[in-house]
Amino acid sequence: MNDVQKVQYKERYLRAKRNGEKFFPESLYRDMLVMFAIFLLLVGLSIFIGVAAEPKADPSDTTYIPRPEWYFLFLFEMLKFFPGSLEWVGTTIIPGAAVIALLLLPFYDKNPARHWKKRKFAIGFMSVVVVAMVFLTIQAAVTTPPQKNASAVAATLPAQITAGQDTYSVQCAECHGPDGGGGVIKGVKGLEGFKMKAINGQDEMYTRTDNTLYNIVEYGQPDLGMPPFGKAFGGELSRSDIDNLVTYMRYSWDNRVQMPKEAAQANAIPVLGPKDIPSYSVNIAPIVKRYCVSCHRPGKENNNYLMGGYNDVMNSGDHKPNVVAGDLNSNLIRMIHGEKITAGGAMPPTKSLSPDLIAIFERWVKAGAPEKPAK
Amino acid sequence: MISKRMFPWLDERLGISGIYKTIFDRMVPKVNWWFTLGSATLFLFALQVVTGIMLSVYYVPSPDKAYDSIQYIMNGVAFGWLIRGIHHWGATLMVITVFLHMLRVFFYAAYKYPREITWTTGVLLLLATLGMGFTGYLLPWDQKAYWATTVGTSIAGAVPGIGDFILRALRGGNDLSGVTLARFFSAHIWMFPLIIIALIGVHLYLVIRIGISSIPKENE
Repeated sequence: MNDVQKVQYKERYLRAKRNGEKFFPESLYRDMLVMFAIFLLLVGLSIFIGVAAEPKADPSDTTYIPRPEWYFLFLFEMLKFFPGSLEWVGTTIIPGAAVIALLLLPFYDKNPARHWKKRKFAIGFMSVVVVAMVFLTIQAAVTTPPQKNASAVAATLPAQITAGQDTYSVQCAECHGPDGGGGVIKGVKGLEGFKMKAINGQDEMYTRTDNTLYNIVEYGQPDLGMPPFGKAFGGELSRSDIDNLVTYMRYSWDNRVQMPKEAAQANAIPVLGPKDIPSYSVNIAPIVKRYCVSCHRPGKENNNYLMGGYNDVMNSGDHKPNVVAGDLNSNLIRMIHGEKITAGGAMPPTKSLSPDLIAIFERWVKAGAPEKPAK
Repeated sequence: MISKRMFPWLDERLGISGIYKTIFDRMVPKVNWWFTLGSATLFLFALQVVTGIMLSVYYVPSPDKAYDSIQYIMNGVAFGWLIRGIHHWGATLMVITVFLHMLRVFFYAAYKYPREITWTTGVLLLLATLGMGFTGYLLPWDQKAYWATTVGTSIAGAVPGIGDFILRALRGGNDLSGVTLARFFSAHIWMFPLIIIALIGVHLYLVIRIGISSIPKENE
């Protein structure tokens, strides 16, 4: 821009200002209106969408599909055009060049014109770039959708306690008993007959911090016979799983903290009224989950009797059927009464079920072992 | 009235009416709604500062505690969910408004004489905003944050020659760790905000000194 053009511009600008408006209140009014709309939008987004819960960072979980924040997605997608040894072009040259081009734009764009009709190249070039960025972002969003979490993330304390109890029932009940009471271990390879101490009393709860409990679960105590449960060491539990497990233990067994009512209700085995007809989904599944699944799941010694769902409970196992509708002499009923039969010994092996739980099983079998409650 | 005597006394010493005349009582060209994007971004930044300071009251930048402290903000602290929600969505919206603001300036050729330096500080502000997004993304220390930052830092590590140095400087070691979290936290609450505040100062000084651009006419 030469000096004549500069003077011309200044004159034009002065005229535009003279024909313009006052910054306060006219301009500022529009600004404030937009600010207010943005504030409402943010509050609305927080209330109606919120921030999605995610599991805790877990460096050992290498299956997680990484995905950058959405405004970096176009860069992420662009890198796919530069595979292998060309990667540095996508990571360094192009973004670096873009930044320098933007920073120095007023110094190399010597075109004095300001109206878009006289700046067709600049406008066209920028438009293509913006369209490409939007396109790459959409493509990245389609080809790399956000990772679905295997299970819902427990975000509230009651949900964490419930999730922790589910984990406990599957992973721990086998050796530590359904309620942490311990006892003589039966049916676990390598630990047969080992007398497990109780872990649900003050001895444990008052002297072990959450961190200690966490470490014991994650790393195990191999010299004492406890294997590691953390994913990093060959176990099945992520960091969030172990956190929830520790939360469950703390709230259930430490008498200095009080179990939230909501969690207690969610974890309770439903009460069966004298005239109710028990069903698998309402009454049996919660008992099975807490007392049986720890051993009766794939990969354990259980004569292939799996108890993960209704069909498995009814039809799986080397000695099937273990449950026969209407027949109180079926294997399952005899074994929870402590009988030793060809299918196996007393179940659960460490400590028998309480009489009222056994009664629920009996009433369920007598009622025809229905899967779902009658309407 | 005491205020009638107070104001001239204060004004004589503080120069309030001078400030008012310079900043508020000035003529600006008639423009359209696209020209509100700058002030919208400023508002969002102020909102991020306020909600960010509130979050820092409860947030603990350590790998053991970060995740739990955010759970506590979401479930335990009164209106913690709202403050975090605004901070989370405000970050997203701020990136959008900054970017649209830049496009508006570009398409109206407002970066040309005499506003070259305003533009340059604006580009730096855009980069700093992206830096805020990048460093803030790790702080919740959840799976999404951890793996996105792992990939993000490794992309920076692919720069030929100095890539390995950049990677180790960003992560504070070969792997993502508590050290990474500490330096991202420091960058997020100290370094970038101070850079942004300083640049906003220059940016606004220039906007007020030179005046906002007008919409170009066909003969311009």
